[in-house]
Amino acid sequence: MDAKTLQEIASLARLKIDQTELDSMLRDFNQIMEYVAQVQEVDVSSIQEKDLYPHHENTMRSDTVGESLSRDEISKLAPQYENGYIVVPRVIET
Amino acid sequence: MIKKKFTEVKNLLNKQEITSEEICSSYLKRIEEIEPKIQAFIHFDKDYILSQAKASDQRRKQGKPLSLWDGIPIGIKDNICIKGKKVTCASKILENFVSPYSATVIEKLQAHGFVLVPGLNLDEFAMGSSTENSAFHITKNPFDLERIPGGSSGGSAAAIAASMLPVALGSDTGGSIRQPASLCGIWGLKPTYGRVSRYGLVAYASSLDQIGPMGNDPQSILDILNIISGKDPKDSTSVSALPIVIPENFSWKNIKIGIMKEEGKEWQSDVYEKFNYIIAEVKKRGAQVIELDFSLFKYSIPIYYIIATAECSSNLSRFDGIRYGLRVDRNKKLEDIYLDSRSEGFGKEVKRRILLGTFSLSSGYYDAYYGKAQKARAAIRKKYQEFFSQVDFIFQPTSPTTAFKIGEKTQDPVQMYKADIMNSSVNLGGYPAISIPAGLDSKGLPIGLQITAPAFEEGKLLKLAFEFNTWESLQIPLPDRIE
Repeated sequence: MDAKTLQEIASLARLKIDQTELDSMLRDFNQIMEYVAQVQEVDVSSIQEKDLYPHHENTMRSDTVGESLSRDEISKLAPQYENGYIVVPRVIET
Repeated sequence: MIKKKFTEVKNLLNKQEITSEEICSSYLKRIEEIEPKIQAFIHFDKDYILSQAKASDQRRKQGKPLSLWDGIPIGIKDNICIKGKKVTCASKILENFVSPYSATVIEKLQAHGFVLVPGLNLDEFAMGSSTENSAFHITKNPFDLERIPGGSSGGSAAAIAASMLPVALGSDTGGSIRQPASLCGIWGLKPTYGRVSRYGLVAYASSLDQIGPMGNDPQSILDILNIISGKDPKDSTSVSALPIVIPENFSWKNIKIGIMKEEGKEWQSDVYEKFNYIIAEVKKRGAQVIELDFSLFKYSIPIYYIIATAECSSNLSRFDGIRYGLRVDRNKKLEDIYLDSRSEGFGKEVKRRILLGTFSLSSGYYDAYYGKAQKARAAIRKKYQEFFSQVDFIFQPTSPTTAFKIGEKTQDPVQMYKADIMNSSVNLGGYPAISIPAGLDSKGLPIGLQITAPAFEEGKLLKLAFEFNTWESLQIPLPDRIE
């Protein structure tokens, strides 16, 4: 993997990789990739679709209103909160 | 007081020979003395602990204890939510987060009157094998302060080993209860996947995570496990399993034990010798030992890292700087809040794992990585089924080495990942496994024995644990003086 691909992956994950940490991150990442790529060697010819999900029972619940957080609790958690709303920067250009 | 086992503490309380406040004060004194050396806690609230202890004593005074365990202190790994308390996950992104709700396991402990002791250190978001990935500080191994306590539940393990607590909760995604338990000379059990509700455990890899007990005797493991188990409507993967019952009759002659055929290749020589000693002893007592072909299991760490990181990249996408947690806002656009909050809030290892997960799930690589790893995981599960058609238990060292030095593996992520070589496959299969103390190496560092059982056979696992607890040769005295 090269620096450009790693930056693309980082952008998908909403992470920034600084120029200062790029080299070490790339080196570690390639080392880890090389190690985990061993998974290609595993013989999975006998594995069928049903083997992938051994516990395939659906778990259902009744469709009723349950507990949820109050506005007051949410207001305490949010980094910025005003008049009953979580504040974010403007997202529509005027 | 602090040197007493969990069972003795419980008995003294129930005989009313000691109060919860006296117990908690002894531990608090010990914590004040040695916590500066061990650093097992990220945050610590003495008043919260004492007020719970006083409330417990009040209940006992009125003849209305909530249970036999009312008033016993239990440590909580700092990735399990307690309403109104800080839960940091050892991450800058949650440094000031106060949980608005409690995990199901916490509600169950509170219903039994336990005194909660929150704030135990971990690798950030439980990602690591040494507690060196904590954003706040490194916890030290009480047997040697220059060494790591293991991870990710390193704070829980070190606190018990240093006699700061008799019991604690940890979480185990790929070895995070068993490996630190082993390196700190205590008991730790990863339950069968689904036995314990994950509601309120901050998610790392949801198909692998389980909360489990760590303690200074096998009774603590049995008691806590029974209390926290059960189907929970808030966790659709939890199951209503039968209660854990310890079989009454026990004879080594009826037991078949599986061991690795190619054992010992990369194990520390002390670990190898101790393991062989245990195997020789159980054979002498009449157990049947069968060598199994573990060659497929050399892929368990690569499979684990593909699956766990894929799930973590998805689970950790919720940290966006908008609704809770750290927000880094430099008066820029919304997209920049996401980028800056995540980039400054997450540490290096967490970022590495998010990147690896994002890569293996991305278009063009999905089939070769995540898809392939899912199939390989099924192959591991099938192999376990084959094993358990031949044997009752699998015996392995919990860790191929005893505790390594701080900084020894931080520059080489793959070497660090391999610390869990005996552990991760158990999570891939969903099986229960325990780490039990198995004596010391030549440097005086603890060795652990991992025993894996078929799904929901924790009762049989614990029967063996109680049996091994009577072996003098496996006892590990916890250190008195910490220096």
